[in-house]
Amino acid sequence: MEINICHLYPDLLNVYGDVGNILILKHRAELRSIKVNIVNVSMGDVFKAEDYDIVFFGGGQDYEQAIVSPDLIKFKKSAIEDYIQSGKVFLAICGGYQLLGKYYTTPDGEKLEGLGILDIYTEGGDKRFIGNTIIHNEAFDETYVGFENHSGRTYINDLKPLGTVKVGYGNNGEDGNEGCIYKNTFCTYFHGSLLSKNPELADRILTLALNNKYNEVALTSLDDSLEIKAKEFIINREASK
Amino acid sequence: MRLSKFLFKGGTNFPGKIALKLDKNILKTVANNYEVILITGTNGKTTTTSMIYSIIKDSNKPVITNNTGANMYTGIVACFISNYSFKKSAEKKIAVIEVDEANVKFITEYISPKIITITNLFRDQLDRYGEVYTTLKKILEGVEKTPASTLVLNGDESLLGNLNLKNDIVYYGFGTKVHENKIVDINADAKFCTVCKAPYEYNFITYNHLGDFYCTECGYKRPTLTYSVDKIVDLNTNGSTVHINNKEYYINQPGTYNIYNALCAYSVARALGIQDNIIEHALKNVASSFGRQETLNIEGKEIKIILVKNPAGYDEAVNTINLDTRKINLSLLLNDNYADGKDVSWIWDVNFERLTSLNINKIMISGIRLYDMAIRLKVAGFQSDSFLLCKDEEALLNEIKTCDGEIVYILATYTAMINLRKFLHTKGYIDKIW
Repeated sequence: MEINICHLYPDLLNVYGDVGNILILKHRAELRSIKVNIVNVSMGDVFKAEDYDIVFFGGGQDYEQAIVSPDLIKFKKSAIEDYIQSGKVFLAICGGYQLLGKYYTTPDGEKLEGLGILDIYTEGGDKRFIGNTIIHNEAFDETYVGFENHSGRTYINDLKPLGTVKVGYGNNGEDGNEGCIYKNTFCTYFHGSLLSKNPELADRILTLALNNKYNEVALTSLDDSLEIKAKEFIINREASK
Repeated sequence: MRLSKFLFKGGTNFPGKIALKLDKNILKTVANNYEVILITGTNGKTTTTSMIYSIIKDSNKPVITNNTGANMYTGIVACFISNYSFKKSAEKKIAVIEVDEANVKFITEYISPKIITITNLFRDQLDRYGEVYTTLKKILEGVEKTPASTLVLNGDESLLGNLNLKNDIVYYGFGTKVHENKIVDINADAKFCTVCKAPYEYNFITYNHLGDFYCTECGYKRPTLTYSVDKIVDLNTNGSTVHINNKEYYINQPGTYNIYNALCAYSVARALGIQDNIIEHALKNVASSFGRQETLNIEGKEIKIILVKNPAGYDEAVNTINLDTRKINLSLLLNDNYADGKDVSWIWDVNFERLTSLNINKIMISGIRLYDMAIRLKVAGFQSDSFLLCKDEEALLNEIKTCDGEIVYILATYTAMINLRKFLHTKGYIDKIW
């Protein structure tokens, strides 16, 4: 088996260690003898929906995000929309998450147009939400931990969240939601990297992508003892604060 | 022990805080008799400060400096107070002061430095400082208060070439390439033109986003260099031999980043009118600052402690270790206290994959976030069943003592490094804590 992972704007949206998610997906796939190809897609490149099985869209600085926004709309908008609507697997973090929505207002008041694929929007806030975060996804009965660092307040309307906030701020510090899920698109503010301490989510993403391509694939289990200890450490420490 | 000695032990900010309570303008008074040199920037501050201090000391001028634990406003005030004398001397003394990026503006509120130098700007502890553009803005807020200060800046740092300032500016940089690389790493910082946002091209890259850059869209390019490294004679794990402005220098601290630190110190010294032979002697003999490639001996084994705090610095440490062809041991210590950065995500931006081809005996992992580090190394390609997870300094020391091979590299974040040094001090392996 073989999967193709597309990394959107790896040269621009790269500051918070989010590239780790791709390294982790690759590592976990290769341990199951699945070949992984990583394709970088950036400024001026055309996005071809049929070429990829997983798309990753990470977070960046406001300066770079302002460069990405017009390129995205000019070169990639409809193809990414087709990709997401067809139920293929997409993982978006922080800036990438915000750009999938209708718009994003920077703290300086600059309004950046998003792709408008998800019915969500983001407003800039004065106070940055920074810290370790713990959420729980009821449908999967899984707990995820990560580190959030964002000034944007995202409102997801009728979409399902990735999880309910147990510790931290989440999307906007108000409604108890963190991230969102739409079809097979997963969005979150979690850095950490996200998948480093949430191996169940990493395998969920791999399984969905493989099922889309090969039907009914079951992944063998891996030794995740380090990942589980890393997650438990955060849960135990933050819960005791 | 005198009270002041007691108060000042360990680089505390406490006396500075008290003094500021009594007189909020105290810095103006206590720094009055000094020509001040400020060193700021993301990486290399401490080493550069110590190099500048050594050069000036060797030139027989009276000079003071602050230690790295005291680079915030209150710590700098404390440094001047501890050196304060009521007897006025005729000659002005020199103060070589390392200052945290966000604290420049508090200092320049009261002092107009003779020279301000900025080493570089990399992503660093994003939970505290924010993004590189935010860091630059904070520094410039401080610089704007003192238009009479001469700026000695890294010309290879593209963020520092397009500044709208009244100050005199002198640039230093590399006039020759270190290696053939012209392609900026996908994960480097500040790769897009500060004038027009187009991607930079490079004649060569030294490391991360530093190098001889130019923009094909708007024509912005590296400014003219007054001081430059013109030839690389040798790079090894002990130091580097280079030519700066047509004279050969040996820098006794290894790595490209230390060539930058030495070049910055050289440029400041030249701006002060110090002669080449004094600079040459000082750069050859400067003692490493604590935790910056500091070398210890534990039961016959060479131990090198390297402070790591952000991806650019960590990658440079990795590149320097890569020059070592011996059988080596690695100890990687990751903490997430405030001074380390509470977010450990940045370890995923470090190229640990480059270490997998080395001849490694033991991998010891420790610190508050040891499991995060272990996962990072596992994904980089190391066998996780060989990891030695050390829950504290005692366990780490025991593993170090039983290492095979001549050398142990200890790569530690700030508080992990401080705690380890304190521990090794109690065990008699380090004489001075600061």
